[in-house]
Amino acid sequence: MGGKCPHRKVKKRRLSHKTARRGKFLLKADDAVYEELVKLADHGKDAEAKELPVDEDLPGMGQFYCLHCDRYFASESVKDEHYRSKRHKKRVKVMSGPAPHTQLDADLAAGMGMPDNGLKLMSM
Amino acid sequence: MRLEKCWFCSSTIYPGHGIQFVRNDAKIFRFCRSKCHKNFKMKRNPRKVKWTKAYRRLHGKDMTQDSTFEFERKRNRPERYDRNVTEQTLKAIPIITKARHERLKKHISDRQKPGKKKELERDNKELEQDINMLPKKLISNEASAEKTKVKVKVKVVQQQTEDRMEE
Repeated sequence: MGGKCPHRKVKKRRLSHKTARRGKFLLKADDAVYEELVKLADHGKDAEAKELPVDEDLPGMGQFYCLHCDRYFASESVKDEHYRSKRHKKRVKVMSGPAPHTQLDADLAAGMGMPDNGLKLMSM
Repeated sequence: MRLEKCWFCSSTIYPGHGIQFVRNDAKIFRFCRSKCHKNFKMKRNPRKVKWTKAYRRLHGKDMTQDSTFEFERKRNRPERYDRNVTEQTLKAIPIITKARHERLKKHISDRQKPGKKKELERDNKELEQDINMLPKKLISNEASAEKTKVKVKVKVVQQQTEDRMEE
């Protein structure tokens, strides 16, 4: 995240839009996050309950993770601070709302019926 | 040949048109034109963009329930080729399309008509607000007419219970 340049002294070059954009592609998309949250909710777990593997490359060894915003933090205190932020609260609100748009929604809106998968081949 | 629908605007994508984006979790997003692709890259929600089908459907601009929607659907199963069925299907397509367009036209014209309910509400409000404008004689007459109405007992035929017995 961020778009800071090495040459901060020059007023014009304080922010680099190129590096700012780079983080955008690393972030998980809305529907992927939503799916993850739904999966956790189905198991009756909280968003906090997910087990986190230790990863040296991530901030805080990948132990302080915000599922809603798909971000890793350096420590518990930083994470708590993030939870109090407006950005996080907005994100939680979006994620607790209706499911994100999918290809199925697009098909239904185009006037197609539900997909027809035929009879079930094997009974479970 | 499968005619896919655009992820963003739900229009049909014919072969040789549009662009396809495969995300690193193997999800496929198809776009009918660069306009839709760009809007996707801007992370816009199709439900909030007014020109998409998703928006129009959600806000009651287009038909949502119709029997013609049952024909076109993704069929994920093998079908044995039958020349007669194919012929009939090809004949039926333009007829169904025509019927659907007609229904859609009707839906839109109905939608744009001022609702009868709204009209009634407006009239009631007007009556309430401007009742003083009527000559006083009329109002007093109406009131007296209401007062003279006498309650009359009416026998109620209990049919419902009999019906239940039959069932």
